[in-house]
Amino acid sequence: MSTYNYKTGNYIGKEEAVERIKALALEPDENNSAFDIVVGQFQESDALLVSDITNDSYFISTPERRIELTNNQLELDENQVAQGATGFIRADAGEISASKAAKKRYFYNSEYFITVENLNVGAVFRQSLEYLPQQDIFRSLISDAIYRDNGNGNYVNPDDKSDFLEPGWRDPAWFTNYVRLVNDDRVRDPLISVFIWTVVFATLTVLTQFAFGLLLALALNKPIRGRRIYRSILILPYAMPSVMSILIWGGMFNTEFGAVNEILGSNIAWFQDPTFARVAVILVNLWLGFPYFYLVSSGSLQAIPSELLEAAAIDGANPRQVFSKVTLPLLLQILSPLLIASFAFNFNNFNLIYLLTGGGPREQLDGEIAGSTDILISYTYQIAFGSNLQDLGLASAISVLIFFLVASISLYGVRKSKVLESFS
Amino acid sequence: MCAFAVFPLYLVLLSAFNESGSLQVTSFLPREISFANFDVLFNDERIPYLTWMKNSLMISGFVAIVSVVIGAASAFAFSRLRFKGKKFGIQLLLLIQMFPAILAISAVYVIMERVYKFAPSLGIGTQAGLILIYLGGAMGVNIWLLKGFVDSIPAELDEAAKIDGASAMQTYWQIFVPLAAPVLAVVSLLSFIGTFNEFILARLFLIEVESRTVAVGLQQFIGGQYSENWGPFAAGSIIASIPIVIIFLSLQKYIISGLTAGSVKG
Repeated sequence: MSTYNYKTGNYIGKEEAVERIKALALEPDENNSAFDIVVGQFQESDALLVSDITNDSYFISTPERRIELTNNQLELDENQVAQGATGFIRADAGEISASKAAKKRYFYNSEYFITVENLNVGAVFRQSLEYLPQQDIFRSLISDAIYRDNGNGNYVNPDDKSDFLEPGWRDPAWFTNYVRLVNDDRVRDPLISVFIWTVVFATLTVLTQFAFGLLLALALNKPIRGRRIYRSILILPYAMPSVMSILIWGGMFNTEFGAVNEILGSNIAWFQDPTFARVAVILVNLWLGFPYFYLVSSGSLQAIPSELLEAAAIDGANPRQVFSKVTLPLLLQILSPLLIASFAFNFNNFNLIYLLTGGGPREQLDGEIAGSTDILISYTYQIAFGSNLQDLGLASAISVLIFFLVASISLYGVRKSKVLESFS
Repeated sequence: MCAFAVFPLYLVLLSAFNESGSLQVTSFLPREISFANFDVLFNDERIPYLTWMKNSLMISGFVAIVSVVIGAASAFAFSRLRFKGKKFGIQLLLLIQMFPAILAISAVYVIMERVYKFAPSLGIGTQAGLILIYLGGAMGVNIWLLKGFVDSIPAELDEAAKIDGASAMQTYWQIFVPLAAPVLAVVSLLSFIGTFNEFILARLFLIEVESRTVAVGLQQFIGGQYSENWGPFAAGSIIASIPIVIIFLSLQKYIISGLTAGSVKG
């Protein structure tokens, strides 16, 4: 998909696009004429009973021909609109559907035809474009201009590149989407800033979560009273469904009514200021994630043989040295695959960003797609589904890019944890 | 520390039982206990909370069971049987697992649109379609988790079974499944929790109010037309969380062993 120009306006296949262009290529006559009509049947053919009140002319129009009517053949109502005529069988409202009737074209004169706008009104149009299947071009019946397939999902007037027909269709764009990532300023610059923030976010998250979790694990590693209760309380944030807790935090950071401002006694617009929004995101993610690292690091602390610690102590190391020289390196060795996995997970932590800040704050005025807390994945989502211009092709290209990033991070992690060893 | 962990939860509890429906610290002790929010949740016809809850439990339950059935069989095959392309297959799975479902979201969307044309009951906007996507997404992780466990079952057991004349099928059902039962339970619980938590795909695919999951429903609740309606939201999220929290706390030990085996809660 990433090699297609898959986006709003180029969403359908080519054949469908040709059909739609044909159906849309209608031009009203110079007066924008519209008539009162009655939908029905005349001589076994679908027909309209048309009342052209301005010209005091009444006629029945079938797809092939037009039959003029005189006053004595007509039943008129108080507005001089014909409600019935000799030989014309009016269709019941239940039998006819406006959308079905609208597809038909009824004869008006050699150039123009009548289409049904709704069940009481018909308008006069003529075909403005003609499709020539042999040459695969559209020809304008009015200006004789030619529209050619430009090989990029649109019919374009070769003399005027900005003159193209809607809708387009999806067509292989090969590497256009990827080239845009590099060459198009409007795509590249936000992408780079979003990428930097994604890395910063994931790194800070892992570091804070790990540091916090480890600290707790160390503190609770000694047998103290009520340890089990502490433990249960501490993993509560982790047990809560994260969607709920993220939304709750979103409410707590509310500027006017939020609990955070109330407690700090401040009046910070958390989600309107880029820096504060980022702090909030990291803080919330810390809350969500530290229990995980508490659990895994307390598990691994117990896995470290106590002989090592004792040996270090006997050799004269103070507790700080024991921690930094013995415990921490061992822990890191055990936990590094998990740290990397967590990094990869947070790299794509869509729920958090989307539910907490929605990627914002973003510059609404510029119609900017990338917000200051957007990470790559939420940015991609914005491109694909967020705005009016849905560009699935570009979004897929970014997805592929993210995939390579995450895959290489994870592969590194897998190497570390040697999962693949059994295959070598 | 504990305060940091508990405070938001306490706040939710407060506002769930508070009539004013805001997420404010009016006082740290509840002045009154009101069930008005719960009443709204269960009796307001515009909020089909019970239907959402039922949807969530049903979808998550289905995914949990089916994904484990698929995962266990594949893990067994990858660990014990010999077949062509085994190494390639498992590495491909690992690679696919790194491509989170959410990244493929635009592709999945288009696929489901097409599926809808052929089988409207499985396409976009249906719970069955959503379940299919979840199953596909969960497969890689589960197979890897389970494979790690199957590898640790001594091969002598299978060999003994084989010598006694058991087919691969019999080995699977009579040796492997009973041995792996606790692990299978943990993996299915993990995928239950993961699915229960899943938000964005559900948001994108379940369009009708009646077919939504709890997570989507409640989010709309504070973001949508009843905006800033924290009271009922708090009440709703408490009820929705209870089963998960209970599962989690009671099975702590097992879940954690599953977690350290290489997955992060989603």
